[in-house]
Amino acid sequence: MSETTLYDAIVIGSGMTGGWAAKELTEKGLKTLVLEAGRSIVPEEDYVEHVPAWEMKFRGTGDRLRMRNDQPIQSTCYACDEWSSKFFVSDREHPYTTEAGKPFRWIRGRQVGGRSIMWGRQSYRWSDLDFEANLRDGTAIDWPIRYADIAPWYDHVEQFAGISGEALGLPQLPDSKFLPPMELNCAEKVVREAMAKHFPGERVLTIGRAAILTQNHGGRAACHYCGPCERGCITRSYFSSVNATLPAAEKTGRMTLRPYSVVHSLIFDARTRKATGVRVIDAQSRAALEFHGKVIFLCASALESVRILFNSSTTEFPNGLANSSGELGHNLMDHIMGAGAVATIPGNEDRIVLGRRPNGVYMPRFRNVKTRHREFLRGYAFQGGAERDGWDRGVKQTGFGANFKQSISRPGPWRFTFYGFGECLPNRNNYIEIDKEKMDAWGIPVLKIHCAWSENELALREDMKITAAEMLAAAGGLKIETFMEEDPPGFAIHEMGTARMGRDAKTSVLNAHNQAHDVKNLFITDGGAMVSSSCVNPSLTYMALTARACDYAVTQMKKGEL
Amino acid sequence: MNRRDALQLLATGAALQLAPAKMMAAFREARAVLAAQSTLKTLDLHQDATVKAMAEMILPRTETPGAADVGAADFIDLMLTEWYQDSERSRFLAGLTDVDARSQDLFHNDFVECTANQQAVILNQLGEQMIEDELTRAEAAKSVGPPPEASSSFYSMLRWLTLTAYYTSEDGATLELHYQIIPDRHAGCVEITLPKEALPKEGPQPQ
Repeated sequence: MSETTLYDAIVIGSGMTGGWAAKELTEKGLKTLVLEAGRSIVPEEDYVEHVPAWEMKFRGTGDRLRMRNDQPIQSTCYACDEWSSKFFVSDREHPYTTEAGKPFRWIRGRQVGGRSIMWGRQSYRWSDLDFEANLRDGTAIDWPIRYADIAPWYDHVEQFAGISGEALGLPQLPDSKFLPPMELNCAEKVVREAMAKHFPGERVLTIGRAAILTQNHGGRAACHYCGPCERGCITRSYFSSVNATLPAAEKTGRMTLRPYSVVHSLIFDARTRKATGVRVIDAQSRAALEFHGKVIFLCASALESVRILFNSSTTEFPNGLANSSGELGHNLMDHIMGAGAVATIPGNEDRIVLGRRPNGVYMPRFRNVKTRHREFLRGYAFQGGAERDGWDRGVKQTGFGANFKQSISRPGPWRFTFYGFGECLPNRNNYIEIDKEKMDAWGIPVLKIHCAWSENELALREDMKITAAEMLAAAGGLKIETFMEEDPPGFAIHEMGTARMGRDAKTSVLNAHNQAHDVKNLFITDGGAMVSSSCVNPSLTYMALTARACDYAVTQMKKGEL
Repeated sequence: MNRRDALQLLATGAALQLAPAKMMAAFREARAVLAAQSTLKTLDLHQDATVKAMAEMILPRTETPGAADVGAADFIDLMLTEWYQDSERSRFLAGLTDVDARSQDLFHNDFVECTANQQAVILNQLGEQMIEDELTRAEAAKSVGPPPEASSSFYSMLRWLTLTAYYTSEDGATLELHYQIIPDRHAGCVEITLPKEALPKEGPQPQ
């Protein structure tokens, strides 16, 4: 069944980047169809951030047996809990395969808003330290853009999304257009002072830069500090597609949002050399549908967008649409995380935090910034923060009775955690392909993922553990414990790089405007476009790249170039 | 209306003699009474009594409610029935049997029949054993494994279940921890203004 409407634009995906594409394209006058594979989200019904534990059947510990059966992969993510597991896919309906001995953890959300509903909200600009990194150390290919190209677009998306944070003037982590920062807590202030004293000019502790409003902004209310953002936010205080960009697109009257639309592939016209439409399987009726548009924005995530292109092979592009370079699906990156240290920070025992701040602290990258490290390239940043231990510390104690009850009902020691996020090098051997043997619940061939950490990432992770402990010691920390979670790639949920940008059509999939070299009316603006990974959380950069690409696409359309 | 009245009402159709509005009200009340009854699915009455006694010993009623007040044993029965795997449930039930074996050995009585002091001796023994097991396990697996409650000994499971049941209950969260779903405000570092004995976790109560 083919719909007769010819849309100006079709956006595939309604998550972080799809929401931005919808907003920018409709506001620039384009009649836009947004295709979302999952269900609709009705905030008044689906958001559950104010449902207390005592109203949950398992008191927040999760429907464990069901989740082990339906979501064995998804439920390893902290946010996939008794409240929010409904925002994560069923692993049984959405399988993927990996090479033996090379696990990859793919955490997914399929609904209007995608993963922007349960994302971590940390928002950081890249710098030229990042954009020039590949060129400087001779890795992979050079980025086709520099900070100056994207800086105005960071301004643009930040002013709409609302990013709270503290300006530091650091070259490696440019400041955003900030709303007022959230406050550090007692123990975090102690650590911040110690860093300034012991590592002056090198290491600085600041509040996390977060897409959470600290004052009313653009018709959305300031955060009320209830805590669990990943369950939704009825006051729309944190940025998500559902809370911000999709309502803006809706307001133009030019958006058609179609949930339950699983994109199978793109339709390529060999004569015009354009993608003329999209083949869709209706998730509910299983009907095969077709939609047609003048430009197509793939915003389905680094892995899903490329899966669609692989499933769109033609005689001219036997290895995936827009893949004359052979780079499609290659250079898969994530961030290596999970090493650090935790310690008790003495003092402030008579002080507490009021409210539940949905944000942690941040220590910008300091390795390979001013000096060169001998053992690894690039660097890492720390996230983390402090809190007073809660009642659960009583589980491992042996006490009981009235005194025990009173003791664990009181706040425990201040515990501070440094948790590292390291840059991952682009590596052609980390790649995805179609597994022809396996189909998802809609009969679409699934991905086989080949990905492993390199020596450089493992060296970064080792160093995180050491520097975290060293800093906690400098801050007067007691009971310092280092940790290293040996998570497989994917678990930082920052997968990227599978359709990289570049100057040369022979070595890259997209040009400097996220436009496919091979198919001029096709844009990929999700994580697929990334040429390197930096060590900072990527969503803000995806947003800026999307807005920039939309501006370019509309300009080209007006010129008659598309 | 007690449980027996409720059952009788529903079984005999006595309420059919009443005017329709009253009849519906009576049925509603009868159903509510029955729904409020503990309907154990895994624990038998003796096991339930043992769990109740142990949970109340860990978190007794003080000036705030205790484990029994918030129905900790019912939550534990639910978790044993629908949350744990078979092997974990078996480990827990075997642990309960072991509690009675210990009390029989020491005091020639089931745990629930022992005096408070005797019960405290048993809990202390279980605590020492838990610490020992923890050390052994930490030695054996020097890496991050499954969450502690999943692989733990009976007593560790019981403690986690009891504390969870209590502190995530409405009374435990609001009366004991002063938890507010929507806090009054956010502040990163404020002095505690209440007397130390009433020192809350989440923040001082509104003045």
